[in-house]
Amino acid sequence: MAHAIKFHPGMSLLEQHAEGSLSADVALAVAAHIDLCPHCQQLSRDITADLACQLTQQPVKTNTTDWQHMLNDIMAQPQLSKQAAATQAQLSAQAAEPIIVNQREFVVPRALQRLAANHGKWLHLGGIATAKLPAGNDYHVSLLYISKDTEVPQHTHLGLEMTLVLAGKIVDENGEYKAGDLLINSPDDTHTPRTMADEDCLCLSVLSAPLKFKKGLTRLLNPLQQFFY
Amino acid sequence: MLKSINVPRHDRVPSLIPDTQASMTRQEIANNNWEEALTFVALQRDRSAYAELFSYFAPRLKAFGMKMFGNEQQALEMVQDTMLNVWKKAALFDASRGCASTWIFTIARNVRFDMLRKKQSRKDDVSADDLWLNGEYPEQEADTDASQWDTQLLMEKLAPHFASLPPAQREVMERVYLQEKSHQEVSDELAIPLGTVKSRIRLALDRLREALDGARN
Repeated sequence: MAHAIKFHPGMSLLEQHAEGSLSADVALAVAAHIDLCPHCQQLSRDITADLACQLTQQPVKTNTTDWQHMLNDIMAQPQLSKQAAATQAQLSAQAAEPIIVNQREFVVPRALQRLAANHGKWLHLGGIATAKLPAGNDYHVSLLYISKDTEVPQHTHLGLEMTLVLAGKIVDENGEYKAGDLLINSPDDTHTPRTMADEDCLCLSVLSAPLKFKKGLTRLLNPLQQFFY
Repeated sequence: MLKSINVPRHDRVPSLIPDTQASMTRQEIANNNWEEALTFVALQRDRSAYAELFSYFAPRLKAFGMKMFGNEQQALEMVQDTMLNVWKKAALFDASRGCASTWIFTIARNVRFDMLRKKQSRKDDVSADDLWLNGEYPEQEADTDASQWDTQLLMEKLAPHFASLPPAQREVMERVYLQEKSHQEVSDELAIPLGTVKSRIRLALDRLREALDGARN
């Protein structure tokens, strides 16, 4: 990563992620960020070690379970060779197929590779294109491609919006976001993300509710909000 | 030749769970030797080493599962799946990359995550293998940010925030920064691995940094 990632998930998101208690869609955005961010990789490693230590230190009730039976069941099963176990573990991490949109190729982070390989059809609207990923019930997860010099109309969020920049750059009223930066917008935030003239952008978008467009004629887009959701 | 060892033999499994008198030794193992035990399981299919591991971790995993699922049936399903993976995939454990307890914890977490997803019966959905890298990210340089903190500054500016740290991290921080103990001393006193002491310090520093500048989301 040539630049330093500036926008990270907060500690509590990282902790919930390591614990495995985030909803799958939010966890996906966090996992993809971690793939791109050495700083959060280190934090996640530390949090995981801490949680594991808590696991071993918790008090244990006196035995009411038939452990011997379970132990016998388990040891009756064959062990896997290192190679077999590794193959099984790495099935999901096979060679990454690039994502192609607008005649551009993008390689997505490891966490997204399997799902991105099964993305839905690209839907185009002006300089913007979206494709759904087959993930989750509560949130809508999609890839969002924004061509050079394109503005996403100003909008607020009816729910939580997470945007992870996967490649390129976008800017909004609050700053500039590059690959690895994770933006989290709550229902109160209003912003107008755009790309610059020299660089397009691919994002992962996780939404818990449709966007709501604010300004003048773009309010007419509200019937089109399904496009972004 | 080796293959014959693989054949499941219900009749041959001896009763290996140690009685409670062995618990002191087990406590010693807990702090030092689970990595060794797991390595024996991987290299020599060592049943008694596995039984030791099992009798230590299974009840703890069950308690963890009870907290997470709130019912015994699913908690035990999680224990069984987790410990089965530990048995089958022991060869994947690499002691140079971390504690046995961390490895086992991540397996349990992934098993639990996939159990919850399966209940919602979606094919093609997010799986634990997507979310958590199996193995390690490349090792980073030492965290320069953390070592840049001047201890004096830390005392003055950050001490007020100590109270808001999670208890486990605060305990370590107080011993290291207020009582000026070495990481090893703290590890010994609290009976936690040295790596965990270092982890908790890094986590606490990051939390304190967050409390000061709020740069993160």
